[in-house]
Amino acid sequence: MKNAEDHQLVARALSAQDTAAFGELVRRHQSQVRNFLRKLTRDVAEADDLSQDCFMHAWDKLQTFSGRGSFIGWLLKVAYTTFLQSKRKSKRYSEILEQVGHKMETEGQSYSVQSDEVTDLDKLLAVLDDEERAIMIMSYACGLSHREISDATSMPVGTVKSVIFRGKQKIRTSFDIKDHQHG
Amino acid sequence: MTSKIINMAEKIKDAEDRILESMFDSAPIADDGFSAKIVGKIRRRLWLRRLALPVAALIGGAIAIKPLAGLVTAAVRLSSLLPQELLTATTSPLPQAPMIVLGAMLLAACLLGLRALDDSRWTALRRLERARHYRRDVPCQRTGSAR
Repeated sequence: MKNAEDHQLVARALSAQDTAAFGELVRRHQSQVRNFLRKLTRDVAEADDLSQDCFMHAWDKLQTFSGRGSFIGWLLKVAYTTFLQSKRKSKRYSEILEQVGHKMETEGQSYSVQSDEVTDLDKLLAVLDDEERAIMIMSYACGLSHREISDATSMPVGTVKSVIFRGKQKIRTSFDIKDHQHG
Repeated sequence: MTSKIINMAEKIKDAEDRILESMFDSAPIADDGFSAKIVGKIRRRLWLRRLALPVAALIGGAIAIKPLAGLVTAAVRLSSLLPQELLTATTSPLPQAPMIVLGAMLLAACLLGLRALDDSRWTALRRLERARHYRRDVPCQRTGSAR
């Protein structure tokens, strides 16, 4: 089982509802998915909850994996969709709370750091919007190619490239990232 | 040829890209029972799905048995009250014909539905198999952190 390719494990999970094969896929890719969501949300607990939801969705929608791209690319697509859905839900929830007179503490903050320690990466990600952040993380943290990011985000490759370019420009204007290299 | 050039262009990284990569880089997260938790959840859900139909049938049967028994006894009583000519008229094949047609149509729909469900799973598997052949024929261009 441990030597099998991702595609073979997917085939096993699909044909015989083999949960052990899917478990091996989870074990292989959980770190990348959790890291992606942790960077996207900057909240460890929320990211781990979303990761669980992501893998449950992945199990439900396994038959939609065409096998043309990498499995991790497809998995990150599911993770990104799960993140967007949860964001939409919490936005709707805060709107309902507002209507009944409550104010959310995080209102107006599209990106908040939950831990006490603010790292260079936190500062860097804070200047980007959700879409830019997701694409930059997929590109620089997960090592996906532009084609794979395009599949994961359902955007044309040209748009992915321009979003990365825009993100880099924003980072460049806010930080002197060459300083990071030496210090 | 064009795709090769695009892939090569993606692989060329400047100093800025390398700095960003090092900033985004993070240590792998230990599993610590995460995958076991997911598998456990999925197994529970599968069991629930498997049990749902028989349990629903059992509960439905338990609820329906009392009125059904009442209906049968009422029908028996009614048949004893009805005149003999009326009873022979209802046993003629004509009134049951629409019910038989309806039953046959329902059975056919169920069979078609089951076939479609089975087909969707096999279509996904066939697609995977085709993709594996495709990947074998076309050498993979992915090299870890290609851009």
